[in-house]
Amino acid sequence: MINSQEASAALMEIESLSRLVRQSVFYRHASTMLILWGVATFIGYLLSFFAPAAAPVIWSVVIVAGVICAIIIGGLNKKRQGVSTFDARATAAFIAFVAFGCLWSMVFGTMTIRQIAAFWTTYFMLPYVMTGFWFGRVFVVIGMSVIALTLLGYFLAGPWFTLWMAVVNGGGLLLGGLWMRRS
Amino acid sequence: MAELDDIIHQPLRLKIMAALNVLHPAQGLDFPRLKKLTGATDGNLGAHIETLAKAGYVSVEKAFVGKKPQTTVTATATGRAAFARHVATLREIIAAAEGK
Repeated sequence: MINSQEASAALMEIESLSRLVRQSVFYRHASTMLILWGVATFIGYLLSFFAPAAAPVIWSVVIVAGVICAIIIGGLNKKRQGVSTFDARATAAFIAFVAFGCLWSMVFGTMTIRQIAAFWTTYFMLPYVMTGFWFGRVFVVIGMSVIALTLLGYFLAGPWFTLWMAVVNGGGLLLGGLWMRRS
Repeated sequence: MAELDDIIHQPLRLKIMAALNVLHPAQGLDFPRLKKLTGATDGNLGAHIETLAKAGYVSVEKAFVGKKPQTTVTATATGRAAFARHVATLREIIAAAEGK
C-alpha cells in the first residue's frame, strides 16, 4: 500500500494528463474548423477583391457553404468517434452570433464595405480570444494576431485591403489550424 | 479500504489509462499521440499497452490509413471501471491520512 503523498502525486498526475488530453482533443477538432473557415475566408476575400460588386452574394454563398461543411464534418466525427463538433447547439449559437452581427452591421449600422470587412473579421475573432481563456492560449494568440493585422490593413493597406484580408484572415486561420493539428 | 489495482498502478500504465479514460467510450488514441502524451518510448509503451490489453483494460485495433499502419488504443468498459476504482482508492488513502 502506498502513503498519502504518493496517492496525492498519482492523482495530480492523472489530473494533469487528463487536462492535456482534453486540450489535445479540443485542438484536433477545432483545427479542422479553423482550416475549413480559413479556406472559406480566403476564397471569399479573394473573389471579393476581383469582383467587389458581387461581394454580398459571394459572402452569402461562402458562409452557407462553410456552415454546411461544418455540419457534415461534425456528423462524420460523431459517426467515427461518437463525438460531435458541430451539433444543434453549436449551429444555434452560430446563427445567433451571425444574426447579432447582421443586425448591427447592416440594419442599424451605416458602414462602408471596408468597415464591414474589418467589423466581421474582428467580431469573429472575439469568440476565439474568449475561448482561449478556457481552452488554450493558442486561440488568444490567433484571435489577437488576426485582429491586430486586420486593423493594420484597415488603416494602411489602401486599395489592397481585401487582398490583405484574404492573406491575413484566411491565411491566419489556416496556419493556426495546421499548427494546432501538429501540436 | 479497497486494494490498489496493481496493473494500473505502474506509472506509465496509470498515464495510459488516465489519457484514455478522458475520451468518449467509442474514442481511442493512436500510438504516436499516446506516445507524445505519456512521454514514453516506442518499446516501453508497446509493452505496457500489451499488459493492459491482456488484463482486458484496453482494446487495440490495427488498421491501415492509406498505406500507413495505424494502431489505436481504446479503454474498455472493464478498464474504465478498474480505473475508477483505482482513483477512488487513491482518494480513500488521502482521506484516511487526513483523518476524514
